[in-house]
Amino acid sequence: MKLPGSIAGYTAAILLVTVSSVVCEALRPHLNPVNMVMVYLLAVVLAATRLGLKPAILTAFLSVLAFDFLFIPPRFSFRVSDSEYLVTFFGLFVVGVVISSLVTRIKTNSDLIRQQEALTGSLYHLTRELATAIDISGITAALQRAVQRNLALRTLVLVTADDTLHEASGDSAMLTTEANDIARWVVRSGRNAGAGTAAFADNGFHYVPLTASGKVHGVLILEEQGSLLAGQQRMIEAFAGQTAMALERVALGRQAEEARVIRQKDLLERALLNSISHDLRTPLVTITGVLDSLMDESCHFDISKRKQLLATAADEAGRLNRFVGSLLDMTRLEAGALAPALAPCEVEEIIGCAISAVEQRLGTHPLQTDIGEMLPAVQADIVLMTQALVNLLDNAIKYSPESSKILITARHEADWVIIAIHDQGPGIPPGEEERIFDKFYRLMVPEQGGGTGLGLSIVKGIVDAHNGTVKACNRHGGGLTVEVHIPQAAGISPEGSNT
Amino acid sequence: MMLPADVANKPRILVIDDEVPIRRFLKTVLEEEFAISLAEGGHAGLAAAVAGKPDVILLDLGLPDLDGIDVLKRIREWSAVPVIVLSVRERESDKVAALDTGADDYLTKPFGVGELLARIRAALRRTMQQSPEPLFTSDGLMVDLALRRVTIADREIQLTPTEYDILRLLVNNAGKVLTHSQILRQIWGIAYLEQPHVLRVNISNLRRKIESDPSRPRHIITEPGVGYRLKTYD
Repeated sequence: MKLPGSIAGYTAAILLVTVSSVVCEALRPHLNPVNMVMVYLLAVVLAATRLGLKPAILTAFLSVLAFDFLFIPPRFSFRVSDSEYLVTFFGLFVVGVVISSLVTRIKTNSDLIRQQEALTGSLYHLTRELATAIDISGITAALQRAVQRNLALRTLVLVTADDTLHEASGDSAMLTTEANDIARWVVRSGRNAGAGTAAFADNGFHYVPLTASGKVHGVLILEEQGSLLAGQQRMIEAFAGQTAMALERVALGRQAEEARVIRQKDLLERALLNSISHDLRTPLVTITGVLDSLMDESCHFDISKRKQLLATAADEAGRLNRFVGSLLDMTRLEAGALAPALAPCEVEEIIGCAISAVEQRLGTHPLQTDIGEMLPAVQADIVLMTQALVNLLDNAIKYSPESSKILITARHEADWVIIAIHDQGPGIPPGEEERIFDKFYRLMVPEQGGGTGLGLSIVKGIVDAHNGTVKACNRHGGGLTVEVHIPQAAGISPEGSNT
Repeated sequence: MMLPADVANKPRILVIDDEVPIRRFLKTVLEEEFAISLAEGGHAGLAAAVAGKPDVILLDLGLPDLDGIDVLKRIREWSAVPVIVLSVRERESDKVAALDTGADDYLTKPFGVGELLARIRAALRRTMQQSPEPLFTSDGLMVDLALRRVTIADREIQLTPTEYDILRLLVNNAGKVLTHSQILRQIWGIAYLEQPHVLRVNISNLRRKIESDPSRPRHIITEPGVGYRLKTYD
């Protein structure tokens, strides 16, 4: 489309009038001069729609001149014998002006609408991408793509995080020290900077703050020498606004998650304290109860009853002692102070120590062992590994019915020795095989039995410290098997050396 | 601290512990059989040991004024009196250090009176013995040191020379714990201190020969992280 006022426009206007004159001359035998005006009118309309306001006016003027000169008697003179042709002149003129202004207005409007549509379309596209972005890099990448698609400019997006500004997407080469400083200023002031603005106008980039709810979440840096066009400016501001809102959404989401985690931790800590308090106090109930009643002179118990009471109190004291030990083990585990003293150990010896420690608590449970012949030594801390096995045995004793068999097996597989405790208890709900070793499993799943239940998580902590693994699975026919996989000691054959 | 004349015939035990309830409890439990003197700290304990010349000392390792090991060292400078150290769980290195410094045995708090009496009696028995008994019997195990013969329920067992040496060492210290380094030093010499697997394997073989169930030993007991003890059933 030719711009109004250009030479080409005027030339075309002259051409139009010339063509119209030729047409009229050709049709002179058949047309009344009145109707020839229509031809010139057509020319004016054509000029107005196609060539713009000034060429249209020129066309109108030239049309009137040509019409008068060529076709109004006396021909080939400018004498205006009939004043009615002045009306014609005026009419052509007005038509020319009105139509060309209308056309210009329509064109401007439709250009505007098209621009708006383009902006809305891009914005919609960007908004859709932002909505599906799950993290900051996704968001900034979407912004970068939108700017690339619509403006084809080099971009760099920076985001704020805890008072620092760091790169998120785009061309890293754009981040010069100067650019970094200007970007920081933009974050602080919340205003645009760079070429075409009031701040740092000599810099080659444009800096646009990504602001939402009054907070600057980042800076968009564009490479464009000179000012941005109004249309581009609008587009960038729209993009910046949407992106800032998306960044705000992510920041708020993170805050909410942090708050949730803290709240969860508080709940768990409170539950843990309650549970520990319960587990410490419960044995004391029996112990103080028994001692009080034995000290009470009004209570008369016979010898066997006294023995019974004292035995119960002694059992509970043992239980309390073990719970205190578990708490200490757990605390050490948490503090990372476990520090196993790994050395080659005999598997049989570790199992023997564990059995000896729980012997008194076996009650009616028959205990069997099935230990492989010629097992290699394992790399272990005998004190800790014994404690782990003791915890597993205590579990088996606690959860399996009276008189049910408890079996300890040990076998060699590749570079590992697998010690397993098998009981005939209820086993564990399917799907929970890994969760039962979680620190607060019993707290979170109280249906599995009350109490703090540190034993299994201590086992896992100890086995992990040995670079081993612990697995639990239900047995066919009922019961639970817990396997402890320990690495065998390097460099020493199963036979060892005999001096 | 001089003991009253009427208790002079009972074996004398000195209890060095800073906790009042523990001193009270030990006194009450032991004073039937023994003459008890109490000290509440390291310095007081050393003074009491010099003055009272006890037959056994119960020494708490967690004293506030003086490190238990230091007290032990000072006692050992002039006396071979049996010392049983009282310690808490998870302090194996403390126990081993005490034993290697000259303590005879240890007890882990909280301990039962049965265990306590067994240790005390074992300690007293060793000091009372002028010469070691040539024959050791305990629940079917019989070791005749004069004939170098080992039998289980009257069935003779063949041991390698090293295995026999270890067993003999344990028998001579029956009821008392021996640390890994004490055994290694006595059997193999100082050069073998860095090779505990040698001991480990020999103990394992010994157990296979003399225990009815090596995974549940009745005679040679492992004290995890500390050493071994030959249990006595009399």
